Amino acid sequence: MKKLFFLSVLFVFVGVSNLWAQTKVITGTVTSAVEGEGAIPGVTVQVKGTTLGANTDVNGKYSITVPESATTLVFSYIGMKTQEIEIGGRSVVDCVMQADVLGLQEVLVTAVGISRERRELGYNVQTVSTDAISAKPNADVVNSLAGRTSGVQITSSAGDAGASTYMTIRGAHSITGNNQPLFVVDGMPIISGGGGGGVDGVTTSSRSIDLNPDDIESISILKGGAATALYGVRAANGALIITTKSGKSLTNRKIEFHTSIGFDQVSQLPPRQKIFAQGLDGIWAGGNAYSFGPKIADLEYDGDTNYKWDPNGKLVAKGTGNGKPAQYYDPYKFFQTGTTLSNNLSVSNGSTLGNYFFSVSNLTQEGVVPNNKFGRTTLRLNASTNLSKSITLGADLAYTNSTSNQIQKGSNVSGIMLGLLRTASTFDNSAGYIFPDGTQRNYRNGGGYDNPYWVSNMIAYKENVNRFTGSTNLSVKFTDFLKLTYNGGVDWYTRRYNDRFAINSRAYPAGYYDEYMNYAGIFNSDLLLNFDKDFGQNLNIQATVGNNLYSTFSKFLYGDATGLEIADFYQLSNSPTNTVSTGISNYRTAAFFGDLQISYLRMLYFGVTGRNDWSTTMPKANRSAFYPSVSLGFVFTELGGLKNNKIVSYGKLRASAARTANIAGPYNTSNYYTQATSDDGWTNGVVFPYMGQTGFALSTGLGNPDLKHETQDSWEVGLELQLLQGKIGVDGSYFNNKNKDLLMSVPIAASTGFSSIYLNAAEMETKGFELSVDASVITSGSFSWNILANFSKIKSVVNKLAPGVDNLFLGGFVEPQVRAVAGERYGSIFGLDYYRDSNGNLLINDDPTDNFRDGYPWTNSGLMVPIGNTAPDWTANITNTFTYKGISFSFLWDIKKGGMMYNGSRFAMNYFGTSELTAKREVYYTPEGTIDFDLTPAENIVVFDGVYGHLDADGGAVSDGVKNTTPVVLDQDWFQGMGSNFGGGPTSAAMEHTDWLRLRDVTLSYVLPIKWKVMKSSQIYFTGRNLLLFTPYTGIDPETSLLGASNAQGMDYFNNPGTKSYMFGLKFTF
Amino acid sequence: MTKFAGVTVLVFALILISCEKWIDPNLNVDPDSPSEVPMKLMLPAIQQAFGYNMAGNDLVRTTNIWMQQFDGVDRQSYTEARYQLLPADVNNVWYSIYNNILMNAKTMVDVAENTEGKESPYNAGVARVLIAATLGISTDLFGDMPFRDAFRGTDNILKPQFETQEELYDTLFTILDEAIVNLNSTTNAVPVGGDVIYNGSTAKWKKAAYSIKARHELQLSQVNGNSAYTEALAAAANGFASNDDDLLVPWNVDNHNPIFQFMEQRTDIRMGATLVDILKANDDPRLPFYAAQDGNGEYTGSVIGSQNGDASKPGSYIAGQSASSVMMTYSELKFIEAEAHLALGQTAEAQAAFEDAVTASVLRVTGAANTEWLAANVIGIPVTKDLIMTQKYIDSFGTNQAYADYRRTGLPAITIPPGANLTTVPTRFPYAQDEITYNGANVPTVTISDKLWWDK
Repeated sequence: MKKLFFLSVLFVFVGVSNLWAQTKVITGTVTSAVEGEGAIPGVTVQVKGTTLGANTDVNGKYSITVPESATTLVFSYIGMKTQEIEIGGRSVVDCVMQADVLGLQEVLVTAVGISRERRELGYNVQTVSTDAISAKPNADVVNSLAGRTSGVQITSSAGDAGASTYMTIRGAHSITGNNQPLFVVDGMPIISGGGGGGVDGVTTSSRSIDLNPDDIESISILKGGAATALYGVRAANGALIITTKSGKSLTNRKIEFHTSIGFDQVSQLPPRQKIFAQGLDGIWAGGNAYSFGPKIADLEYDGDTNYKWDPNGKLVAKGTGNGKPAQYYDPYKFFQTGTTLSNNLSVSNGSTLGNYFFSVSNLTQEGVVPNNKFGRTTLRLNASTNLSKSITLGADLAYTNSTSNQIQKGSNVSGIMLGLLRTASTFDNSAGYIFPDGTQRNYRNGGGYDNPYWVSNMIAYKENVNRFTGSTNLSVKFTDFLKLTYNGGVDWYTRRYNDRFAINSRAYPAGYYDEYMNYAGIFNSDLLLNFDKDFGQNLNIQATVGNNLYSTFSKFLYGDATGLEIADFYQLSNSPTNTVSTGISNYRTAAFFGDLQISYLRMLYFGVTGRNDWSTTMPKANRSAFYPSVSLGFVFTELGGLKNNKIVSYGKLRASAARTANIAGPYNTSNYYTQATSDDGWTNGVVFPYMGQTGFALSTGLGNPDLKHETQDSWEVGLELQLLQGKIGVDGSYFNNKNKDLLMSVPIAASTGFSSIYLNAAEMETKGFELSVDASVITSGSFSWNILANFSKIKSVVNKLAPGVDNLFLGGFVEPQVRAVAGERYGSIFGLDYYRDSNGNLLINDDPTDNFRDGYPWTNSGLMVPIGNTAPDWTANITNTFTYKGISFSFLWDIKKGGMMYNGSRFAMNYFGTSELTAKREVYYTPEGTIDFDLTPAENIVVFDGVYGHLDADGGAVSDGVKNTTPVVLDQDWFQGMGSNFGGGPTSAAMEHTDWLRLRDVTLSYVLPIKWKVMKSSQIYFTGRNLLLFTPYTGIDPETSLLGASNAQGMDYFNNPGTKSYMFGLKFTF
Repeated sequence: MTKFAGVTVLVFALILISCEKWIDPNLNVDPDSPSEVPMKLMLPAIQQAFGYNMAGNDLVRTTNIWMQQFDGVDRQSYTEARYQLLPADVNNVWYSIYNNILMNAKTMVDVAENTEGKESPYNAGVARVLIAATLGISTDLFGDMPFRDAFRGTDNILKPQFETQEELYDTLFTILDEAIVNLNSTTNAVPVGGDVIYNGSTAKWKKAAYSIKARHELQLSQVNGNSAYTEALAAAANGFASNDDDLLVPWNVDNHNPIFQFMEQRTDIRMGATLVDILKANDDPRLPFYAAQDGNGEYTGSVIGSQNGDASKPGSYIAGQSASSVMMTYSELKFIEAEAHLALGQTAEAQAAFEDAVTASVLRVTGAANTEWLAANVIGIPVTKDLIMTQKYIDSFGTNQAYADYRRTGLPAITIPPGANLTTVPTRFPYAQDEITYNGANVPTVTISDKLWWDK
């Protein structure tokens, strides 16, 4: 196959001939209309209708040899409006370029690498340039996109170094499958996912973290079906088209050095009570799980040196000990200031012979949790050479080594926050985590949960990823309107990790070790024939036909060892009990596609695309599917009456519709055997090898030989406006995506011999509105003020699940769960609630004869009900940028409205008596059993907002609707009862709103006025991330996800906290 | 220009041809999971699932609590002791019966009979015995069940019809007859391998087939009258001949006994006072093997419903780390014979069978003959139905058989626990919640007080 291709390329070379005849030389200078900017280096100057081009030098000067017949020069530069200037017989053509505020004329990279002017598009594409991503304190470039776009939702799972990131474009598209967009780097689709996980364990990175942000020139975000339709079966979730830097626009060597140092601090932490000591029922008890002891102010130490759990001894009543007063220990002192050091060096150059860009970078990050680390070293060489005037051959090669050490999190006796937030108020975790005999010191006298210091020092998850991405590209211009391009490459990595639990860790008292090795990659080949020709003044036709071959492979090996014979020696052989497993996933797709774009009068832009895909994962009869799209852009300001309007200087209406798709994962069309095990839901069960035998049993998932592609039918309409000569730009879109025949594993009756079948079962619909506004508020002399704002409102509703299935578990706990429910919004959280009347009022118990406390609500432990949704109602962001001479100052406010999260951390802290809510617990009763209002502090008295009610003999809720006025106190019984999850309280009481207003980004930069002969420019900057956060959420930063990059968002159960960052950097250009 | 166009067309045409190769359907075959495995790898998996689920902890725990051999003292086990068993409680066992045991055993029969040139009646026979044993225990708990329509997910039958218990019993006997024919075969291409129960002995499997047949012929005594007894005796004549023939599923230090695991990981059951008191009254040598000493060094049972967590835990015979799970024993067969002979008025034969049964039981449980105790308490004591059923109740501890016998004979007498949800012992299991959810139209509506077909 490849051999054939190279052979045909050879044919092509032989046929190339010189097309150029008589020529002349034109020179000139390009300057900026923006005051103070002067000459612009690197502007592309092209002869219209040809591929001839040159670039301006450092002084903005250019020189270009043009054919005698040339009439027009085209000047283009990122951030500036493209200008066409007629030559008119001149030999000197100067150009003054205007700032392009909304980037309407900017040239964008669209699907399969096709470049288009924004003006020509019938669908929404948003671009983010290098400035927005290269100087930000985010190791994963995806995090730098947060708050800069519309229609894109990005959630970082935690503040840990190397944490994963969940990204969706225009909402969810699949119910149980992948919802994350396709990443394409320089034409090569790459592996970007990963980082999902369970409610415990560690957070792992999304593989988009392997990209060096400094290498990125620009990112195009293809949001809708029409934009991505040429990607066919990989298009359903949108796409990020990433272009890395090159030396293309250079004429002199450019060396850039970028160095930065950043500091991270824990942002928000759940507030704790500091009044009451460890213990229960008001009595101090060392090793007790709770902080329901006496008041700390009433206690002192006894100085008992034999008490090994506290160097100061036990706590006793004031006046009976050694006089050293008891104190509250702040467990949050555990967190440190995280640091990030980043260095990046790049060298690039270009000439008529070709160009190159070479970079090397290193990032070393230490998180806010001690020993949480992430490191990344990258190398990149993008080079291309012009073999002749019409043939260009190039290669983009990138190597990344990413390493991380992650710390246990979540619902896990080793979870760092689990031990930390439960730690009793009077126990000092920092006074040692290990005794000389190797046993553990923690607040539970060695039982319960790991001391957080033990977790960070004695338990480790070490990961190492070696990744190589390389592609070669070839471009052959047959004529000025016909071009053949080829791009073929691989993205390949090995990911290794190991988990280490020292002996005496609570989860593995005998110690534990496991090792995992995954080898994965993609091979991709794209062959395209492009046609681009003007037919007269008014008609332009661009057409592309192409072929794509794609293959992915992944294989893992895993082994574990439970019970270590030699302490602190982590090797699989160091245990009598090993298990091993392996897994594999390989598939291929092939496609032919075509794209036709007709432009008429620079007013009407009509586009149509089609792609036929074949996939090995589908049954033979259904392996082929066709995906069309159609789009129309109408620049109505080209109409006679609207032309040169003073107010509306540019306006375009656009509309598009498309069908895209998704395919089944591999191996779902037939049945397999897997290694047998037996258990009964009560016990751990038994495994193989068993009695010296190997055992295999049929997999209980039934393969389906009748699978078909799932489809997404989408349409969008949009309006682009430029008002007041481009001072204000507006871009709005409304879209609708209908996903049908969604592939998923559906449960079936066991009597079929199987427990589930893979089916085209579900339907989901997403509707949304996106708006971007860009305004130059002030442009006066050397001062300017720009505003860029984005707004998105997106709603995904599950229309239908498989017959007989009314909900599907997406992730979470036994309770609560994130579910997909027919007829409900995607991402609904289900859990138990308190008893309520038919109007939704909380019932407050008024029956003194039942087992429930009067004056308090109580849990309805019947069915789980919807108790909130994770998805926001809308999101918005506003960036203000001020520039004055060399100084630039910008700040980005990020707003999220709606969306809820399960604050399981706070709910559990109630049970343990550590949350601040439990501080007002003090209550005294009269001999009659009523609250003694003289002794009980008045601020502790609470009256629940609800109506009186109780249960009748049949267990039904009864209420007369009388408003509750019974005063009660939220005391220990409440928090160990209906006021916490462990006491029987419903999870609805732990649901909290996650609305936020955050100062996501502040950047101040200054172009240093130093200019030496060798140094062309230098810049110093400061960036702050998440410096301010306003939210009703009472836990950690609500931008968090227990399950990482997975479809089940909205869970916070002892998640590792988020961070705020400060970063200082220097950039030098030589 | 035309040259370029020609080349381009050629390139695309060549790609089109190679695409056919690129989209290789064989790539969609998982190389890490076999689509076919030899029978010697299927058999131990079926036997492990069979032992763990049919004779292990889940079913046995519930039926032994109801028979007051155990008492459930906490959580779900306490709920079961009060006669509450919900559809969700039997989901796991229902999946095990259909997915883990019957589906794989049925597939093994297919492989044994339909692999051209490698037909193996012996393997088919062994798999059929396991199918029959599983179906027998299952229908004695669930009554009507899907069978003919079942295991046909691959034929796109996703909502199997239920068959009556009468039909299932016919099927059960047919399968056992086929198994016997299989095991008598003179040609066999693939020896029985991976057999952790009988190590490939077709003679023992044949005895097992006859013994299981005897068990279920007897179970029809209320339906078939005397012919049930004669059929049972006819089958028993070719059944187990000694304790060496017992159908036991082994466990060891790597794969622990299911009740051992339950006591290690859940701990919610204790010895039932009803069984312990019978054993204590007769100074039965099996007591220290059935029960562990309590905190006072005594053997005590928890009175049903009393939640006496201080009572004895199950002993080494039942809950030892490597104790085998008991599917069917020689002693059970002898009790079957005793009951049948007695019903047919053949008292002498009944007496002999009864004495052999208890002798075999004591030897199996204690590992010693205990001839003195037998002479004083069993040998020569005139046999009665009550005596037979009480001794069988003792013998069948740790199996589901006492519950099947109780519903057939009403023996031994069971006291209803205080605070129970029902006024009588439940007479059947509910259907699994998932079967109701995903195959609801076919699932009969039942309560756990409904009687099965053979329970008149």
